Amino acid sequence: MSTQIDEYLEAEIQSLLTDGRVAELGITVHRREHQLVLGGDVECENRRDEICRQISSRFPDVEIVCDIGIIRAQAPTEVEEIS
Amino acid sequence: MIRIAAVGDVHVDSDVLGRFRPALEELPDQADVLLVAGDLTRHGTVEEARCFATEFGGLGVPVVTVLGNHDHQSDQQSRVVDVLTASDITVLEGEATVLELHGTRLGIAGVKGFGGGFAGACASNFGEREMKDFVSTTEVLAERLQDALLSVQVDALVALTHYAPVPDTLLGEPLEIYAFLGCYQLGRAIDAAPTTLALHGHAHHGSERGRTPGGVPVRNVAHPVIKQAYNVYQLLSEEADLELVAT
Repeated sequence: MSTQIDEYLEAEIQSLLTDGRVAELGITVHRREHQLVLGGDVECENRRDEICRQISSRFPDVEIVCDIGIIRAQAPTEVEEIS
Repeated sequence: MIRIAAVGDVHVDSDVLGRFRPALEELPDQADVLLVAGDLTRHGTVEEARCFATEFGGLGVPVVTVLGNHDHQSDQQSRVVDVLTASDITVLEGEATVLELHGTRLGIAGVKGFGGGFAGACASNFGEREMKDFVSTTEVLAERLQDALLSVQVDALVALTHYAPVPDTLLGEPLEIYAFLGCYQLGRAIDAAPTTLALHGHAHHGSERGRTPGGVPVRNVAHPVIKQAYNVYQLLSEEADLELVAT
């Protein structure tokens, strides 16, 4: 039986992503037709790949679209004056 | 004039070592101090604390932090603090520190803070023991922040927390989780003191700018929000202008 893509699956994935290994609480999960779209930002490519790997491994019949970005870490070019 | 660099939610582990360092090496030319608004590590382990100390230590400017919820995940927070302190990184847990910078005194009062929510949608100290413990934690940490803020006499005073003191900087987060992202008690503590600026993290999908009901500027410096290694804020600019006029 194929995995039902519904709000329970969304919640289960959110729970999976907050487990000890992945520990990513800021990933969004949205349903789009027969796909699950992952969003948000992480600190490096390894973490993004691990998120997708964990979900694919737990739900192999669910099509995942990964829109997770890598946060830039360059120095700023502007200063904000606080008054 | 004082320049403060700030970031939060950097979630350092061995897999991100070196990512922040090039930008951090520029810090002494950009700011007088670096404040980190919690979630220094990914799971709150001693090993990750060592990674944070390697990445954010020895910068040539003081580094002052609070812990975040991730730094509590492995129940090793006291050992995490020991590792950071041994690397000359100051960790504030309901205390204040004062830095003398260019002849002015900068006070930084910090606490992790906790959830609880905001006016019209907040948890109450009522009912089950678990709920009362939750709200009691919120209130105790906010009181510690207020005491810390009021404990120093300085030219500029910064409140540093992980959890948000106002809902303004949560805009973009689902309304349903606001109560897990911050609480009004932190804002009230900030307004009870002559606070110049309040900095927090935790809300990865939130917004950068807000104000407390008392008018104190609030900035969400979570790394996913500011999208650069750190932001820089300039305080006491009027004093700098006056000095220029005087010379």
